[in-house]
Amino acid sequence: MASDSSYASPSSDEEEESAGQKPTVDVNINSIDTSLDAIENQLSSIALNAPIDDGTVSSTDYHEEPVSEIDDGSLRESVSERRRNSIGESSSSRGSGLWRNNLEVGVELEPEGDGSPSSPSSSGYAGERGSSSSAASASDTDVIREIRENGSSMGDDGVVPLDPAQAQWIRGKRHADEDDGSISWRKRKKHFFILSHSGKPIYSRYGDEHKLAGFSATLQAIISFVENGGDRVKLVRAGKHQVVFLVKGPIYLVCISCTEEPYESLRGQLELLYGQMILILTRSVDKCFEKNPKFDMTPLLGGTDAVFSSLIHSFSRNPATFLHAYTCLPLAYTTRQAAGAILQDVADTGVLFAILMCKDKVVSLVGLQKASLHPDDMLLLANFVMSSESFRTSESFSPICLPRYNPMAFLYAYVHYLDVDTYLTLLTTSSQAFFHLKECRIQIEAVLKKSNVLNEVERSLSDGGMRIEDLPVDPSANFGSLFHLNQRKIATNGTVTGVGGPAGLWHFIYRSIYLDQYVSSEFASPINHPHQQKRLYRAYQRLYASMHDKGVGPHKTQFRRDDNYVLLCWVTQDFELYAAFDPLADKGVAIRICNRVCQWVKDVENEIFLLGATPFSW
Amino acid sequence: MGLSSAATTTTPSDLLKFCIFDLRRGQHEGEELEKILFFFPADLPFPAQLSVIGLSEGLITFTRIFSPEAACEVIEADMHSHVFFEAEPDIWMVMVVAKSKETEAIWRIEALRSVLKEIHSLFVMFHGSIRVLLDKEPGGGLTRSHLFTFIMDYLTDFLTGNKFTLPNFRDSLKERGTVQMLTVGREAAIEVQSLVGVLDSCMANTLGYSVILFQDLLVSTTLTPDDTTNLFSYGTLRLTPRILSSGGTSTWSYLRKGNVPSQAELASRSANTLSALDGFRDPSSDNYRIVRPLQHGKWSKGKDGFLVTDIWGVEVGNLVPTTPTLWLQQTEHKMYLCVYQHKSLTIILLIPVTSMLNGEEGISMLKQQLLENASAKIFKVEEKLAKGWGGENAYHVKGYRYLLVDGDRNISRASPPGKVTTLAKESLLALNKVREDFDLEKNRGNVDAVNHEKDLEICIRAKNNAWVIARSTRGKQLYILLEKANETLLYASEAVEKFSDRYCNGAFSLD
Repeated sequence: MASDSSYASPSSDEEEESAGQKPTVDVNINSIDTSLDAIENQLSSIALNAPIDDGTVSSTDYHEEPVSEIDDGSLRESVSERRRNSIGESSSSRGSGLWRNNLEVGVELEPEGDGSPSSPSSSGYAGERGSSSSAASASDTDVIREIRENGSSMGDDGVVPLDPAQAQWIRGKRHADEDDGSISWRKRKKHFFILSHSGKPIYSRYGDEHKLAGFSATLQAIISFVENGGDRVKLVRAGKHQVVFLVKGPIYLVCISCTEEPYESLRGQLELLYGQMILILTRSVDKCFEKNPKFDMTPLLGGTDAVFSSLIHSFSRNPATFLHAYTCLPLAYTTRQAAGAILQDVADTGVLFAILMCKDKVVSLVGLQKASLHPDDMLLLANFVMSSESFRTSESFSPICLPRYNPMAFLYAYVHYLDVDTYLTLLTTSSQAFFHLKECRIQIEAVLKKSNVLNEVERSLSDGGMRIEDLPVDPSANFGSLFHLNQRKIATNGTVTGVGGPAGLWHFIYRSIYLDQYVSSEFASPINHPHQQKRLYRAYQRLYASMHDKGVGPHKTQFRRDDNYVLLCWVTQDFELYAAFDPLADKGVAIRICNRVCQWVKDVENEIFLLGATPFSW
Repeated sequence: MGLSSAATTTTPSDLLKFCIFDLRRGQHEGEELEKILFFFPADLPFPAQLSVIGLSEGLITFTRIFSPEAACEVIEADMHSHVFFEAEPDIWMVMVVAKSKETEAIWRIEALRSVLKEIHSLFVMFHGSIRVLLDKEPGGGLTRSHLFTFIMDYLTDFLTGNKFTLPNFRDSLKERGTVQMLTVGREAAIEVQSLVGVLDSCMANTLGYSVILFQDLLVSTTLTPDDTTNLFSYGTLRLTPRILSSGGTSTWSYLRKGNVPSQAELASRSANTLSALDGFRDPSSDNYRIVRPLQHGKWSKGKDGFLVTDIWGVEVGNLVPTTPTLWLQQTEHKMYLCVYQHKSLTIILLIPVTSMLNGEEGISMLKQQLLENASAKIFKVEEKLAKGWGGENAYHVKGYRYLLVDGDRNISRASPPGKVTTLAKESLLALNKVREDFDLEKNRGNVDAVNHEKDLEICIRAKNNAWVIARSTRGKQLYILLEKANETLLYASEAVEKFSDRYCNGAFSLD
């Protein structure tokens, strides 16, 4: 099974975040084989249940009797079983079952949603056998046994042979045994909570939501106490800790952190967390709370723990989370053009968005006329796809919502991995479009293979992008292309570890305002370790927040020197540059180097950015 | 009722709420009111008061779950900031201020906290710690009466018209709780030194202390830094010539706004304050003799040059005012307070009560001694300092607007207020933000204890092209605003370097 190497080191990072406590490695369920008909039923129920069961399920406390409700919903599988099943699968099953019944009234579903029982499902695809998962919690031993009986990829003893890459990234809930009484829980550096306005826990990064009901009620009490006084609480500060609140209708989000990130960053992270939830459920979920304030949302999000924890994980590792821009995989201009052309062909057949990505980097993306995709939506979508194991092993067709595009309606995402890291996402408004999209994918895949794009993508991934040590020192030199250099380097060294840039330059991020894209240099010495990288990103975050202060910003220039770095930032109408230097770097020289970086980026912009090839004009 | 009702009719209680409560009191249901030691506005209905305290208490408890070593410091809501200060163990001061862009109510939390700290330090200086007062009279009436009069007297300084004007972003180039020094030439310094010697000898073997002020600036002190700061605060609030002669005309001071109300206003306010107290008093506490050291217009200069006040009462029989007393912070010694003033020079003497066996009589003897032995010296020093002093704008540096804070010595120096008013609002807002940034860094350093003062440098070119520069090194901070500077970062850096070399002995120079 494919391992996600972009998360190669989280377990050690977790240690850092968890105040020195070693995460317990739970039994990792590698693969849960789900039966074909289960998926079929779930998917068809998307189409079937909605109109039929509309109104038949009362919204009160149905979660307490999930099984019977499900039977009503003509599903053979029980909710609890489904919850333990794959995320990808539950992402499709989300559309089914009870909550959907409740939701349906409010959801502006596409007319196709009323379709026939023969509605397409991924089960039509032969390769879906591994449609799999991960979100099983350690305590669900009986489930594991059940799964093992069905499963094909498990070891005999039911214990998954620990694949090193897998073992490091324990998906889903971690430290589920903790609650607010545990010292270890209290010492976690960064908590995230989602709760309902009645105080019911919906999600907690650490610990079992059900055990945190009391704590959740306390958070709710704080928010509503201030609300009753005619105000709205935003932040509580205590020593190194910040408690950040975000109220989104009936959904409350809270972050408790001692990571020294600025309030604005933490708030932005809560916004993304909310967006991720909307991506899974749409804002129609608000209507459930209108009907029943005590509505319990946890079953709706069952099995999506990994999606949230992966997003939270990316907050300190992916600059897209605070830059609100996306980044592209560096590619020769013609290669990206070729990819764009075939995506465009597909888009012309009624696909809303066609996105080809490699990990969290865009290879190419095309949208239907006038449709534009917000970088935050791309981030959330990519996170959803990458953190759901099932997408890797089978083609999938899943309802998703793009919160910035339309928070009220579902779109349908056809997702297929073309190789280990590269995946194609086709978005449509039609729930019936599976077979069409499958056709599209086959066509795209063929062209990409033929035109060698996938090989180029793979090579770019291993070669990396801009290396600070390649920064042209001669100001008059035009760099031309990134690729000659990288090839040369590999030829001579065989390895590609950076050694640091001129004049103490350690790293930079360049964000193009018009393109909504950014490019960041590869990490080089001395920012080699993930801890150092995380620290640098947090320093950038602080710089970003300070430059874009709501009251007085945006500022034009900032120079900041502390014990760790010299940071320089420019914000102009066209671009923003963030650069990190050795703390002893000379100011004058650093400024010169920044000018060179800008020139360099401009020289190679058609290889690092996706330029004008799409009808993306916003 | 009294001041509070007068205040609330014109300023809704929403603009400022201020309370002090004791977490050790009122733990049982129905006794919650016991917790409240002070509440402003006093006429706010009890349920509303308890709601403010309830939220505060709730969040103190809540934040301790995660941060046991430092509980809640601030709550930021859309419309209000709640600023917390644990003045003494389990005794909390919480100030709730309304935010408003229109009324320029944009606060820096640490600046507001420094008001709370100042109130508490001054209170303790005159009345001893709140806990000791509570222990003395567990009913709490004594403590409440003292806190109420004291804080209401203090708050009148922030009243402009009917509105409280708390320090906002326009005060970004000021640092409350620090002392401003007079720079003296070598010759004058020697004279001052010798005066301090003479004062010492006047106090002979009593182990007293002296503090010398020129205008609103400190010239010399033999007290510890903390006590100096407190006494300096009190001096500039109530004792300096500017205050004593104020018809509200002279407005010069680094920290204090010159909005001293008229005598008539003060008198009515005093009356109101006391009547407002009625709501708090339990019947048995009617007989408290409350000393009001911050009461306005109560100090005056006597014929012999010593300042007199009847705040501390009048000796029965001979109508001689009782000599004021106060407590030193560290040693907790009770001291007599004697103030002598000659023109711009104010000399404050503190004499241990325990060493004055014959009380008031001893004080008069000491005063006599001072007049006989030190007068000539005092005159001479005053003359020298007056000659060397450059006036209100003495510390103005052309082209710069600055604040220099020496945290270790509790000293600050800043551009004169008159010059700061020329700055654009945007520049000051940007500076306010940078100062918040620095405050956070500093607090983190304090929590860590290790790595106490980080070296930090920030240069920002703001939207309006002003340069906002902040540097922190070895316990010192320098904030500079340059509005008419060249656009390059190097130019701005050089300007700071020059300033540092010239006025800070190169403390902020990098090379």
